[in-house]
Amino acid sequence: MTETDPQVAKSPEVALAVRNLNFYYGENHALHDISIDFPARRVTAMIGPSGCGKSTLLRVFNRMYDLYPGQRATGEVIFDGRNVLERDLDLNILRARVGMVFQKPTPFPMSIYDNIAFGVRLHEKLNKADMDARVQDVLTRVALWNEVRDRLNAPASGLSGGQQQRLCIARSIATRPEVLLLDEPTSALDPISTARIEELLDELKEEFTIAIVTHNMQQAARCADQVAFFYMGRLIEVDSADRMFTNPKQQQTQDYITGRFG
Amino acid sequence: MTLATATQPEEARDKAGVSHSGSRRSGPDTAFHLLVAASALLVLVVLGGLVVLMGVGGSQAFRTFGLGFAFHDVWNPVADQYGAWAPLFGTIVSTLIGVAIALPLAFGTAFWLTAMAPPRIAAIVGTAVQLLAAVPSIIFGMWGFFTIVPFMARTVQPFLTHHFRHVPGIRFIIHGAPFGTGLMTAGLVLAVMIAPFMTAVMRDVFAAMPAMLRESAYGLGATRWDVMWKVVVPWSRTGMIGAIVLGMGRALGETMAVTFVIGNVTAVGWSLFAPRSTVASLIALQFPESPAGSLRLSALLALGFILMLLSFASLALARMLRGDTK
Repeated sequence: MTETDPQVAKSPEVALAVRNLNFYYGENHALHDISIDFPARRVTAMIGPSGCGKSTLLRVFNRMYDLYPGQRATGEVIFDGRNVLERDLDLNILRARVGMVFQKPTPFPMSIYDNIAFGVRLHEKLNKADMDARVQDVLTRVALWNEVRDRLNAPASGLSGGQQQRLCIARSIATRPEVLLLDEPTSALDPISTARIEELLDELKEEFTIAIVTHNMQQAARCADQVAFFYMGRLIEVDSADRMFTNPKQQQTQDYITGRFG
Repeated sequence: MTLATATQPEEARDKAGVSHSGSRRSGPDTAFHLLVAASALLVLVVLGGLVVLMGVGGSQAFRTFGLGFAFHDVWNPVADQYGAWAPLFGTIVSTLIGVAIALPLAFGTAFWLTAMAPPRIAAIVGTAVQLLAAVPSIIFGMWGFFTIVPFMARTVQPFLTHHFRHVPGIRFIIHGAPFGTGLMTAGLVLAVMIAPFMTAVMRDVFAAMPAMLRESAYGLGATRWDVMWKVVVPWSRTGMIGAIVLGMGRALGETMAVTFVIGNVTAVGWSLFAPRSTVASLIALQFPESPAGSLRLSALLALGFILMLLSFASLALARMLRGDTK
C-alpha cells in the first residue's frame, strides 16, 4: 500500500528516532554516539560482527538493560514523542508497545493458549470470548492456527522449534505493540522454519515497525527495507537494503558484506 | 555382575592374541573395577545394615506393643510403656513449620540473588548464605536457647495469648505456659538452619533458567511479581521440590539444635508453644540412660527405625511429585 505512494515512500514517518545514544556495560563503552531513524512499518536490519553492539541497541529500545545493574544509556530514543530513556517512564507500558523476540524460542512453561494470553492479561481485561478471538487472531497471523487449534491447552514446549518461535512472535504481537524487536530470531531454526519466519516478516511489517538483528546477510537482503551496519560499537553506515548490498559507501561495509571479515 | 561383564572382554582379547595390552592392563584394571564396585556395594551394605540394626533392635518394642507402637501417645519409662506418637508428632510438625518458614525465605533470597541483586552484593550475600549453611547445628541450638526461647517466652507468647486467647480457631494452637520452648521455637530454629541449604539449591535452579526466558516475560511488560509467579515458579518446580526435600531431610533428623529448644516433654497436643519432643531429641536424651537389652532401648531403636522410614517416605514423595517431568 505504502509502496505505491511515492510521497510516503520517500519520507516515511519515523517510529524510533535514536539520537547520540551511548551505552555502557559498567566501564565498558559499548555504543558510541549512535543516531539512526527506524521508519514506521518498515523492516530495518542491523548487521555487523559479533559484539558490534547491534543487540545492545535492540535492548535499549525496550529498556531490557534495566534488568541488569551497571548497564546504562545516555542520549535519546524518541518513541511516540517521548524519550524512552527517561527515568520515570513506565517500563511495563513501554514493553507492551515494543515487543521482543529472542535468538531461541522461549515458550513459557504453560499451555499454548496461556502463552498468548499471558501478555494480554497483563495489560487488558478481556472476557473469555474476546481473549479466544485474540488468541485465534494472532495465531492465524503467524500461520500457526491450523497447526495448533486442536491442542491449545497442550504445553507449548511440545511444539517444534519453528512453531515455538512463531508462537513467540504471536505472543509479542498479542499485546498490540507498535514496534517489534527481533534478535536473530531464526538463528536456532532450520532453513524451512527460517523461510516461514521471513515470509511472516513481510506481512507483519504492514502493521509493525520491525527492527531485526541478523548475522545472515541474505536474510537482511531478503527482508529488510533499510540496513544498518555496526562495527565496534559504532554505526558505520545506514541505507536502503538495495544500495547497501550493491553499492555501500564505506569500505568497511563493503568488506563485511563480501565476507572479508566478521 | 558388573565384575563378570568387565572381565569378559579381557579374556576375549587375550584369546584373539592381543595379549600385550591385555596382560598389561588386566591387573590394575581389574583392581580398579573391584575397588569401584566395592565402594558402590558398600553403600548397599551400610544402608541394609542400618535398617537391620534398627529393625532388629526395635523388634522387642514392636513385639511388645504391636504396630500400634507408632501411634501410642504414652512414653513412660517408669511404667515401661512406650509409644512413638508423641515424638513422631513433634518431629513431623516441627519439620513442617521449619519448611513452611524456610521455603519463602529461601525462595526470596535465591530469586533476589539471581535476578535482582547487584553482582557485588550478590557475591557477599551468597557467601554469607554458604557460611550460614556451614555453621554446626549445636551453635544454632545455643543461639535458639539464648535468643529465640526468651524471645518467644517474653514477647511472642504473651502477645498471642493476650490477643488471640479467645479466638476459637487459634486458641488451641497458642495455649500453654510461656516457657518459650516448643514446636514453634524448634520450627523457627530449623527454618534458619535449613533455609541456607534450600537457598543454595534454588539459586542453582534459578541460575540454570535461561535469561532469555525471563527477559521474554519482562519483554511483554510483566512485573517482577508476574515473572516470579507465572514463569519462574512453574519452570523451576522440580528443582524447588528437590530443595524442599533436602530441607525436610535435614529438619527431620536434626537433633542437637532441636533438643536445646523443644522443651523435651513427651506429650502430644496441638499447642505449638508447649514443651514437646522429637524422635531425634528423645533418642539423644534417653539413649545413655537405657540399659542394654531393656525394652526402653528397644523402643528407642524402633523410633530410629520409624524416623528412617519417614525420611525414605519424604524422598519417595519427592520422586512421585516430580515424576511427570522426569
